[in-house]
Amino acid sequence: MADLNVRSDAVDVEQIMKGIRARIREKRGADYTEAELQQLATVKLEKFLDPKSVRSDLVEQFRKSVVVPPAPNFEFGETTLYETHRGAISAIRKLFKPLLKLFFNPDKITSALHIQSQVNTQTEQRLRRMEERERLSYELLHNLTVELTRIGIEVHNLKMRAESLSSRMDFDERRARAFEAHTEAQRVAEPRRQMEARHAEPRHAETQRPPQEQQRSAEAPRTDGGVSVASGGGPQPSQGPRGDGGRRRRRRRRRRPGQTFGDQQNQANAPGGPVGMAGAPADAGGAADDGGGDDGFDDDGGGNDGGADGGAESQ
Amino acid sequence: MKLAVVVQRYGADISGGAELHARYIAERLARHADVEVVTTCARDYITWKNELPAGEEKINGVTVRRFPVAHPRNTAEFGKLSHLVFEQPHSLNDELKWLEAEGPASPALTRHLQSVASAFDYFVFFSLRYYHAWHGARAVASKAVLVPTAERDPAMGLAIFAPVMRGARALMYNSFEERAMIDALSHRKGPGVVVGVGSAIPDRTQPWRFKKKFNVRRPFALYVGRIDENKGCAELFSHFERYSVMYPHGLDLVLIGSSVIPVPKHPRIRHLGFLSDEDKFDALTASDLLIMPSRYESLSMVALEAWALGKPVLANGFCDVLRGQCVRSNAGLYYESFEEFAEGLFLLDSTGPLGEVLGRNGRDFFRRHYSWTVIERKYLEMFDRLKREPVPELEPLPGFFARRTRNLPPGAKVIAAVPSGPAV
Repeated sequence: MADLNVRSDAVDVEQIMKGIRARIREKRGADYTEAELQQLATVKLEKFLDPKSVRSDLVEQFRKSVVVPPAPNFEFGETTLYETHRGAISAIRKLFKPLLKLFFNPDKITSALHIQSQVNTQTEQRLRRMEERERLSYELLHNLTVELTRIGIEVHNLKMRAESLSSRMDFDERRARAFEAHTEAQRVAEPRRQMEARHAEPRHAETQRPPQEQQRSAEAPRTDGGVSVASGGGPQPSQGPRGDGGRRRRRRRRRRPGQTFGDQQNQANAPGGPVGMAGAPADAGGAADDGGGDDGFDDDGGGNDGGADGGAESQ
Repeated sequence: MKLAVVVQRYGADISGGAELHARYIAERLARHADVEVVTTCARDYITWKNELPAGEEKINGVTVRRFPVAHPRNTAEFGKLSHLVFEQPHSLNDELKWLEAEGPASPALTRHLQSVASAFDYFVFFSLRYYHAWHGARAVASKAVLVPTAERDPAMGLAIFAPVMRGARALMYNSFEERAMIDALSHRKGPGVVVGVGSAIPDRTQPWRFKKKFNVRRPFALYVGRIDENKGCAELFSHFERYSVMYPHGLDLVLIGSSVIPVPKHPRIRHLGFLSDEDKFDALTASDLLIMPSRYESLSMVALEAWALGKPVLANGFCDVLRGQCVRSNAGLYYESFEEFAEGLFLLDSTGPLGEVLGRNGRDFFRRHYSWTVIERKYLEMFDRLKREPVPELEPLPGFFARRTRNLPPGAKVIAAVPSGPAV
């Protein structure tokens, strides 16, 4: 007969429990069981109660819960001095009691011993109460230490959690900034693309116009955003294919490693640098197509196209 | 085949774990053999007072024969002896006195077993730790089949039990963990099998009826059983109160069973008291999961019932048996700390990712291993096997002086030395 030993394959409880424990560890830094916590608390308790100024066996003393039996006491009355279980002796003592009183005063002794007996009882009660209080103090101290340990660990875990959250927040902020920059760039690039799409059609129509008209439009000066752009006479090499079939050649100029967009602009503005910006020689209009519109994003030379097409549109 | 089921208490309204187990087994085996139950007149497992009439009666078609308990339990004496045998070096005589004090001391029951030994094929004894099982199993050792229902408690570490475990014909264990513990304690070599027990699972349940009847509107986790500190309920309340703060929209806690400790007044804890079986099964179906917070269980019948109804279980991880069952069935999670408790509840919530899958596994696990056909077959096959097995010799008790020598280790120390952990 086979004992039951079959396990379902769909889920594995042990794996799930490992996952749970890993999550808990991640959440709170360290995973302490109640027993471990108690042990830690004990260590702390010893540490607190065992400094140099305190008795080294204090913890032991506290832990000792040996109940000391009450010390024997006595009841002392007027007749205690003369008591006996033997009848004859009792009678003789009673007979000679006045004689005894003649030599000294036993009542004083009786009274003193009676008071002493009461004092003993009261002291005993007081001692019991103190013992009770000591036990309570130890329990209180113990519980406080356990709580303190628990709180200490919790504070430690919270610190770790705060650190973890702070690093996550930093990461999220950086990520958000990167997204914002990307979105902004897209927002800037989008109208250009739309404009180009709109201009692609007239540009195509332009190629159908008579050559004289084309020349006129090419010669006409234009103003584009306050920057005077002069196009070169006749079709530029880069414009050749457009005239052929409307296909535009995409070119992208990459920055050199370590070079920024500002550097590129400075280079363009510098004498002998890339042309196409203000002050560039007019015969270098074709080259301006390459450099003028490159802003670091994937662009197809919109600056120059705009200049040329704008000129055509202004006709 | 004629069988006698011997148990400390018996009755249709007695719902203790081992007693219910014995009743189910007796009623099921009655379909295959002539079964008679031998028990005491006690109803209360603490005092063992004679409350039921001695003599014969029929319960659900099974003959029940009751014998009076000689004396009720003296709790002060029992406590003193328990402290002695569990915590201090002691003698075998001390252990025998402890057994007598624990009860239910019914010499009449033992005498009856001896007198009818030849009339029965086997005697099935439930709960080894009690007087009736120890004395009974010694009286008819050659026909004794033990269902020890042993938990990992110091009583099992007492020296009087190991010879009885070795001398019995067969042991019917409730779990692999129980078998591992008994093997370690007794070094037994004879036949034994992990059986457990089935349950009277209804074909149809009505969760909506339960919700309407008890005005339960929110999803809830269920606890069924005695609400007692020994059952881990104090820890359960503490964990749940913290959980309810962490998860304001999480599960509620519904408790079914009589309470020994006060139930905290909390808006998300409902105590419904002792309910009928019908209500209990409806509640199980209506719940999201069952919580078993007890650290000491030899077999949780209510956990098996939850699995039978396709509900996952969240068990106390310190209980080897429950933990082992959760792992073997892949139908429950376990916790050893509050954090694990909260995570477990979150995962097993019906809206969570796991509850349904684990519940399905549980149903499958119950069907394969705890359905009545499987249980009955295991018992019947064991009785068949015993016909071929040799009868072991029962070790006699030591002599007068040896019994009085205080050289036995404390029960708690013995049980602590036994390897623990789930058997997976």
